[in-house]
Amino acid sequence: MAETTLQQTRYTPQQIQKFRQRIIITIKYILLIVLALLFLFPILWSFINSIKPPSEALAVPPTYLPTQIVSDNYTELTTFGRVGLVQHVSNSAIVALLTVVGTIILSTLGGYGFARFHFPGKNILFIMVLSTLMIPFQSILIPLFVMLVQVELHNSLLGLALVYITFQLPFGIFLMRNSFLAVPQEIEEAALLDGCTSLSVLYRMMLRLVFPGIVTVAIYAFINSWNEFLAALIFMTDQNNFTLPIFLTNVRSGLYGIIDWGALQAGVIVSIIPSLVIFILLQRYYMNGLMGGAVKS
Amino acid sequence: MTALQSLQGLSWIQRRKITGILFVLPTVIFVLIFFIIPLLMTFFMSFHDWPLFGDRAFIGFDNYVDLTTDRQFLKSLDFTARYTLLVTPPIFILGFILASLVRHNIPGIGIFRTIFFMPVVIGLGVSSLLWVWLLNDQVGIINRFMLDMGLVTKPQLFMAKPDSAMAVVILSVVWKTVGFTMILLLAGLQGIPDELYESAEVDGAGYFQKLLYITLPLMRRTIALALILSVIGSVLSFDQFYIMTNGGPRNSTISIVYWIFNNSFTYFKMGYGAAMSIVLLVILVILSAVQFYLLRDNT
Amino acid sequence: MKFRKLAIFALMISLVGGIMPLSAQDEPVTMSLWVRDSTVLVEALVDGWNETHENQIELTVIPASEFVTKMGAAVAAGEAPDIASIDLIYTPAFSSAGQLTDLTELVDQLEYVDDLSPAHMTLGEYEGRNYAVPFAAEGSFLIYNTDLFTEAGLDPENPPTTWDEVLEAARAISALGDDIYGYYFAGSCAGCNAFTYLPFIWASDGDVLSEDFSEATLLDDPIVREALELYRTMWDEGLIPEGASIDSGENFTNAFASGNIGMAGTGAFGIDNYKSNYPELNFDVTYIPGKEGGTASFGGGDVIGIPSGSEYVEEAWEFIAWALSEEVQLELYAGNNQLPVRLSLSDNEYFDADPRLKLAASTLSVGHTPYSLVYNDLFNDANGPWLLMIQVAIFDGDIDGALDEAQQRFTEIMEG
Repeated sequence: MAETTLQQTRYTPQQIQKFRQRIIITIKYILLIVLALLFLFPILWSFINSIKPPSEALAVPPTYLPTQIVSDNYTELTTFGRVGLVQHVSNSAIVALLTVVGTIILSTLGGYGFARFHFPGKNILFIMVLSTLMIPFQSILIPLFVMLVQVELHNSLLGLALVYITFQLPFGIFLMRNSFLAVPQEIEEAALLDGCTSLSVLYRMMLRLVFPGIVTVAIYAFINSWNEFLAALIFMTDQNNFTLPIFLTNVRSGLYGIIDWGALQAGVIVSIIPSLVIFILLQRYYMNGLMGGAVKS
Repeated sequence: MTALQSLQGLSWIQRRKITGILFVLPTVIFVLIFFIIPLLMTFFMSFHDWPLFGDRAFIGFDNYVDLTTDRQFLKSLDFTARYTLLVTPPIFILGFILASLVRHNIPGIGIFRTIFFMPVVIGLGVSSLLWVWLLNDQVGIINRFMLDMGLVTKPQLFMAKPDSAMAVVILSVVWKTVGFTMILLLAGLQGIPDELYESAEVDGAGYFQKLLYITLPLMRRTIALALILSVIGSVLSFDQFYIMTNGGPRNSTISIVYWIFNNSFTYFKMGYGAAMSIVLLVILVILSAVQFYLLRDNT
Repeated sequence: MKFRKLAIFALMISLVGGIMPLSAQDEPVTMSLWVRDSTVLVEALVDGWNETHENQIELTVIPASEFVTKMGAAVAAGEAPDIASIDLIYTPAFSSAGQLTDLTELVDQLEYVDDLSPAHMTLGEYEGRNYAVPFAAEGSFLIYNTDLFTEAGLDPENPPTTWDEVLEAARAISALGDDIYGYYFAGSCAGCNAFTYLPFIWASDGDVLSEDFSEATLLDDPIVREALELYRTMWDEGLIPEGASIDSGENFTNAFASGNIGMAGTGAFGIDNYKSNYPELNFDVTYIPGKEGGTASFGGGDVIGIPSGSEYVEEAWEFIAWALSEEVQLELYAGNNQLPVRLSLSDNEYFDADPRLKLAASTLSVGHTPYSLVYNDLFNDANGPWLLMIQVAIFDGDIDGALDEAQQRFTEIMEG
């Protein structure tokens, strides 16, 4: 008995702790890598297929790796149509920019209002804003278009952006309200008692604390605006104002539902790049430090 | 600044009220103009026989009455409910697992966060087409792989049976949306100070106890947000069925919005589609209110 | 004296004033033309017109699957285009709702009015008036792989002309190997089957709708059942690839292009596609056969009309008449492997080089098209009774049930 106990005390508690942590981290990395491969696979496969020659891209059965690497599927995008890829990308970019800026401003102001202030009708207004999410867009598509024509906002990138902002607001307000609610009230109360106006409290102090929320709203607003198809198609009566998703649909679709798979793949890759870049640039704001530091008080 | 000065005469509470209203006013204006007004028009349309092209006629509540005997509408309600119940747990469980995995800043974690989020940046329509291609029996790589690995003896027709069709749609939707749920849950997780976990560990708390008594309760608001959005999204699902299954096989995967779309734009019965939309709105408002109530802050 | 000067002056003013409005119309206008999906033909037409005329056409291409939605929204908001090219099967719905300009007088002035594709002209009529004329034509026919025919001991110069011959050919070809099949059709595509399957019924003097298109004759007409039995037999015997049952159109052309399919229904777009993209594929075309002989085709494609409220009716008609002119039909249509919409021109020098195109063009003269205000609900809807009937009868094997259900549903829909 005594010998067994001697053997067991060869490792210190700290060493055991460290050993356990190493195993946990290794398992973590293994899990992460397996999951990452599963998640990445469809997009990666899209990319591989997009650089195959068009006839190979359609092959039955499909080939695993390209026999040659060509850019045909991509050049098809640049040469298709009368308006051109660049114009459509620029349209999408302008609308996306307007949407992101507008959504951030209104969501932050509104989220703060709903989180920290009490006024009559607050709950009803909040439900009203949220209810914007609860109707399928197809249902109000035509009335909305008729209305836009009345105020001459149809066929304009600005009009489209204003509509996009409206439909981003429920999520934006909901999220920003949550973000503000998570900040302890003592911080603001101190500033307000010192005589600051609500607006400067918001601007100087709260923004830093809810920045991850703002980032999330921005990313989501960008992605949705960049990928949206139906409203853009219906509201634009002039081909020059078509956005990227409409262009890509025209490139890949044919009679009787026939789909040009190569064009689909190239379109996927082309359209995810901007959204990915934005996400990569902004995702570091989800790090622990920013939020945690502010809450410790 | 002069506006604020003129407010000096009011009491603190009244000033707060007005300031609050001013903060939310821009949002309210946007929603009123670009949503409420068209919604009222849709509501108006629901009381008419309103074809896509042509003359309309007022018919009172007829559309709503017809809904109660519309077999497909009832089937769609059932299908959408089953779909929502089936798709929500995987999204949340997997989302939570991913959020927990990417929560701490171990080296390279940014890459993993990005990879899990990548499917989110693709549009739902494009993602659905992507999966149609992957699952295709002729050009799809999944079948090729399963054949080569000897897992199956002939290409599988995923869309041929109601259960497998629903299953692969769910798979594609989970792949596409879980990254977003991960991000939302991650924000909630970040808000929990490490000290709470540390002191719990000192008290001898294991993994599940920490989860149940610290993590989940403190994430109530975040979970409410993610859950309500996810449920609304699932109830309103359309693109994935329109593109992947065409409502089949044998019309077994027609969601509510799919049926609204068919009535409005295939059968040109906009008034009827409008009535269905209003009913759907009411259902969702009630559903969301219930979720809000169940997940309300107890603070 | 003064009075006379004044009178002459007044006369001159009124003369000039009378002439002025005429010359104001000479200023070039830009007209908007909406088409579904980009086609070689439309681009060539618009470019050809713009180069040679002062009035300009601005083309907007709209994804086909959203075309009706967009037109509906545009019409509702008063933003319809000046000219629209629409799938001909929608025309009754548009014209009955007063959405198209009455073109009867203008059409009557065309000397070749009787030469225009009958299917398009019928669909473009409403209550005796013309609202649209043919723009792009597609007739359906059978395409077959001549190499497979030869290998199977069949004569590629003598393709099937009866249903029994189709069945025999399909069996002979399927016997060639595991991966080779005698027949193909897209089993989840409603429109594709209206295009390629209905003609089997029509060619046998049957129909799914009564002559005045007011009733469904699915149960009454024995040919409908026999047509279902033909496809069911082929499916049952494994003469059709399994994947066909879930093909909603995305494999439609690729299947035949793989070289493993004996016969399939298609349109002229198929000829163009296979010629251009699969040059090693050897194929020929023949009419869709009736049970004991006879032929029929689905007259499909687009018509062109002028949405009501357009400011440029005359100018738009100029474009339309130009597109229908012999020169344009030959050079821009036939010259680009597209079917002329004028029957007499199906025999032309461009098609001399490829008799397959000649046959495709000639299908227009035996082209039927169901005339119905609810065509979409019946035949195009992926969730509609036509497709459901085909799937239940052929893939599930329940022909009786399929016919009963379809008859009931057709009747419900047509009664509105």
